[in-house]
Amino acid sequence: MASINLRALAPIGVFFLLCFVIAVFSPNFLSVSNAIRILNASAIPVVLVMGATFVILMGSIDLSVEGIVALCAVVTASLVLNDTTSANLGLWAVPFAVLAGGLIGAVNGATHVYLKVPSFMVTLGIGFVCLGIATAALGGFPVRISDRGFRTLTLGRTLGLPNGIWVATAAVVVALIIQERTRLGRYVYAIGTDEITARQSGVPVERTRVLVFVLAGLFSGLAGAMAAAQLGQGHALIASGRLFTTITAVVVGGTALSGGVGSVLNSVVGVLIVVVLTNGMVLMGVPPFVQQGVQGFLIIVAVSLALDRRQLDFVK
Amino acid sequence: MGKLVRNTVMISTAAMLSAGINSATFADDLTLAISMRSLSNPYHATFARGGEDFAKSVGLPFEVLVTEGNSEKGLADIRALISRTNGNVCINVDPNDSPDAATIVDEAKAAGAYVVTQWNKPDDLHPWDHDPNYVAHMSFSGVGTSKEITNALIDAMGGEGGIVAIGGILSNVPAIERKLGMEMAVAETGGKVEILDFQPADWNETKAFEIMQAWLTRYGDDIKGVWAANDSMGIGALEALRQEGKAGSVPVVGIDGTEAALSAVEAGEMAGTVAWDPMWTGGMGLSLCHAAATGAIDIAAEPHEHREFYGTGIVVTPANIEEFRGRDASFDYNDYWAKSTGQIQYQ
Repeated sequence: MASINLRALAPIGVFFLLCFVIAVFSPNFLSVSNAIRILNASAIPVVLVMGATFVILMGSIDLSVEGIVALCAVVTASLVLNDTTSANLGLWAVPFAVLAGGLIGAVNGATHVYLKVPSFMVTLGIGFVCLGIATAALGGFPVRISDRGFRTLTLGRTLGLPNGIWVATAAVVVALIIQERTRLGRYVYAIGTDEITARQSGVPVERTRVLVFVLAGLFSGLAGAMAAAQLGQGHALIASGRLFTTITAVVVGGTALSGGVGSVLNSVVGVLIVVVLTNGMVLMGVPPFVQQGVQGFLIIVAVSLALDRRQLDFVK
Repeated sequence: MGKLVRNTVMISTAAMLSAGINSATFADDLTLAISMRSLSNPYHATFARGGEDFAKSVGLPFEVLVTEGNSEKGLADIRALISRTNGNVCINVDPNDSPDAATIVDEAKAAGAYVVTQWNKPDDLHPWDHDPNYVAHMSFSGVGTSKEITNALIDAMGGEGGIVAIGGILSNVPAIERKLGMEMAVAETGGKVEILDFQPADWNETKAFEIMQAWLTRYGDDIKGVWAANDSMGIGALEALRQEGKAGSVPVVGIDGTEAALSAVEAGEMAGTVAWDPMWTGGMGLSLCHAAATGAIDIAAEPHEHREFYGTGIVVTPANIEEFRGRDASFDYNDYWAKSTGQIQYQ
């Protein structure tokens, strides 16, 4: 029993070990202002992993993250005061972006479940479709946001912390409630552990799968709005690189790609590990040529420490 | 029943796709085409627009090929275009990677098609060795312009202090040249300006944002200036500074002349950028290619500086932004080398 608990704490151990090593080389790492910077850089990835964790817990994968974030960032930028359209919804653009994300998630889920196409292919395809729409709609140019009020979504501060951190915290609370206190959360674990048994015990597998993809889309939509606020624009390439961070963070946090094992809180720790790693490399002055190698190596170490092998019957 | 519907959907989708391919016309006219990485960035979108503008001016069919960063796809598309037009085609291509240029030139030569290349080609591949099909290679001086924009940054810093530098993908030719130009300008200050750190952010604004945040922790107020190898990364760094209330107090420079960067220069938040002229490279590349193909000029008889030449990169700073905005950007498609700034030099 004790060893199971230790294993569950492994990602946190990896996180603190990493912080310790970086702090030895660079004392500035432990400053309050750097902690705020790390949390701030984690805000968008945290929102993204909230959705991705449920999908992965279910044993599926969502590769449409970059497409949905980019399209929703473009939607957001087009709905606030900007240089391309005449809209001026201010912060009311956020719910539209979130809904747009949810809608795309519904397409993901419905195609996956009712046409029985593997989630890997569906989400890859839908992701490209979203990027294509964002590119075609703008002809390759960005929509630039001139609405200062809207940008307080990430630029403003409340109680000394950038608002993006509060938004991400709220997303974690919502995801945690869904995971722990709703049937949907229970069903996700049941499907991820053993879909056939879950189906035989009356779990509405199809509906749950679609709902989880909708949920992932909603979180991606929110992340799109945050990305637009953070960089002051929306364009087709705004999310490039986000997919890798998202999947890595979920897995580093200890959620198994085969499904059934893990939690949204694990993924928060996973994001912190990935972000601290990037931050620490620069702080410690690791040469750029070496960074990618070190990053890849540490990710494998983190995953092998974090995975609870006794709960995994097989690894694909 | 469900299965039947699904199959019908798939079959009709496949039918529509193949109909689209069959309906492509076999043109007797000379076809004009542009090949480039992607339509999702402003530089290449404008490059394609320049090509389209020239095609309209001569009333010829125009096509855009996109590599999506994949050399194989780029070459396959060009091969298909050449065979579809029986070699009766002019292609203005920004090769995905330098070695691709050699293959493209070989294919064009074998079929009698005409090619102009942009930015990327091997140093030992020259248009004059492949007369008349390899018309010209156009580029911008990465080292020279980077040196100029770095000097603009150093001026904005008051001539001394530490800078942090954000580079592009380490193996890209423009990334290497721009870094070299920056280092040369810094070396010329004789130690008054110091490069605190150099990190590649792969042309990506989010990566630049995160690196800039880490630098603020590591160097804090010692950072007197930020150099970025392109505007996207410059904007990423600027937004990281904004988050800390430092936008405008630490000068940032970029390269490319994107609208976002030009506005930031106007707002006093960026100390400068270099504006290329993709409308000109897109349009003039095709115009030159067209002139060689139709015999309007005897390209083989032109001197080397008309076959491999630099375009004009304009350094835009707060001092000349107004003049830059008001400039006459139009040009004459028959005055091929008016905007050339000399023969390409190899480092």
